[in-house]
Amino acid sequence: MIRTPLESTLRTQLVDSHLLSEPPARDTFMKLGQSTLMGTLGGLRPLVAVYLGLKAHNHFSYTEWDELDTTYGLITGLEPREEDHWVHWIWHIGINATANVQTSRNLTPRQRETEFNRYIQRAIQIGDDALKEHPRSADIRLQIAELYREKLKDPCEASRLYGEMIGLPDSLSYVERFHYYFMADCPGREKDAYEGLMRLYKESENNHLPTLIVKIKKLEVLLKIPIHQWIPDQDPDELIRRQRRSGEPLPGGIRLP
Amino acid sequence: MATDDATQAQQLGGRNWMISGSRIWTIARGTLTQLIRMKTFYFLIAIAFLLVIVGNLNLQASAASQLSMIKKVSFGTMDLFAWLFAIVATAVLIPRDIEDRTLYTILSKPVLRIEYLLGKLVGVLLVIAIALIGMFIVFSLIIHARTVAFAGAELEYLKGAGKPAADIQLEVNAITSQGLRPALGIAVLAIFLKSAVVASVTIFLSTFASSSLFSIIIGMILYLVGNAREMAMSFWEYESDGSMAVALISKVFKILIPDYQLFSFAEGIVLGEKILPHLVWSMAGMSIFYAGFFIALALLVFYDKEF
Repeated sequence: MIRTPLESTLRTQLVDSHLLSEPPARDTFMKLGQSTLMGTLGGLRPLVAVYLGLKAHNHFSYTEWDELDTTYGLITGLEPREEDHWVHWIWHIGINATANVQTSRNLTPRQRETEFNRYIQRAIQIGDDALKEHPRSADIRLQIAELYREKLKDPCEASRLYGEMIGLPDSLSYVERFHYYFMADCPGREKDAYEGLMRLYKESENNHLPTLIVKIKKLEVLLKIPIHQWIPDQDPDELIRRQRRSGEPLPGGIRLP
Repeated sequence: MATDDATQAQQLGGRNWMISGSRIWTIARGTLTQLIRMKTFYFLIAIAFLLVIVGNLNLQASAASQLSMIKKVSFGTMDLFAWLFAIVATAVLIPRDIEDRTLYTILSKPVLRIEYLLGKLVGVLLVIAIALIGMFIVFSLIIHARTVAFAGAELEYLKGAGKPAADIQLEVNAITSQGLRPALGIAVLAIFLKSAVVASVTIFLSTFASSSLFSIIIGMILYLVGNAREMAMSFWEYESDGSMAVALISKVFKILIPDYQLFSFAEGIVLGEKILPHLVWSMAGMSIFYAGFFIALALLVFYDKEF
């Protein structure tokens, strides 16, 4: 009479404070093997998750991407609050699996493209699910941004994600710079990018980094900024271009092809 | 002396029902010695060995992930040991006392039956507490050594790569946050509370069980069912489309079987979630309630039992 409502209240409080996990979703249960199911029911959920993590690592070693995908689905089903599981899942599917199919000699060019698209879309979908579970995660956004940046070559989406990272706990110091770097390559956003980059440029000399200068120089030309408003710094790429033209070696005696 | 004993015996015969802490402590100490003689602490070597292996696994994962894995394996092993030991040791004790005829000697003395049951429970809990502290020390040494090694390597690498100080600090913090924290002591306490409830349920079972094997099997089944109780009930109620009969059976089930999953809050602490002191106190209170309830049930069975 007294115990059951008391237990329910305590359970709700423990779940709300994330000290206790919600029971795994039904589809997670359906996919668990007999032994892992028993382990989960036996209150050994973290141990089962570690075991599945090692299993996933094994799939990674043998480039078994679909099995790895299923295994990570189970791991995140058992421990949805563990942010690292989501980050690893996106990294494996979005970076490793896509790179593997792109370089696979067993696939035809058309198959490579199909498989690449399948895995990259899957990784984006995992990223969306991850953000539903961890809406304030900088690490997850960083991983998804890498997909847009390296794999999909989509500077607009990459810029959006870096922008979302600004001010989040655990976000790295360069995210604001990266937000504007990729915005500079996003059609239609060049003006905003120029303003943002110029603000960073004026903010501190520590921000006068080669990439920042290159991006500003490029935008100065693109946006037809009056010459007297141009930044005084020399374009770091210009030196390389000049030396390449003249055939002179770079400092340290390095010759460019 | 003889007069004192006779007076005490007379008092126990019907007038004085005062429970003596010193008698409980004497039985608890005896139980502790009995369990130590069964070489129960040898498993610590196996656990230390397991942790050293896990601590040195070279996986392609971040330092923080590897530390998290060491923590989860360590606390998972502690949890597994604690509840398994609580069932097996408690189930074995009373039948063994009957077999060795120690029980007759004890109960022929001026010892209340409740004192005997409480003494046995405290003895088992002492062994579990000592073992958990031992395992926690082994874990602390390993996790501290690994944290220092990982953080040192990361620091050296990031400094070499010329990363900004703020970013280096962030990366190092991410590693140290997965290392040794005082909050992990509360996780050990959570495991202990769960094992206390499991031990008290098993002591109740062993008062009417015909053999220790029966108590062990039923204890384990109850543990599994108690862990899966909430999940099973919600699935069943969902599948039955709100049937009255199912809801009634489910209520009875909830009253009879403790919700062991509730006591698994060490999981959240290990993952780094913030501890709310009032919840820890509530869980401690809940454990005492459960232990008291099952000891009371055990006494009901044990009180008039003829040996």
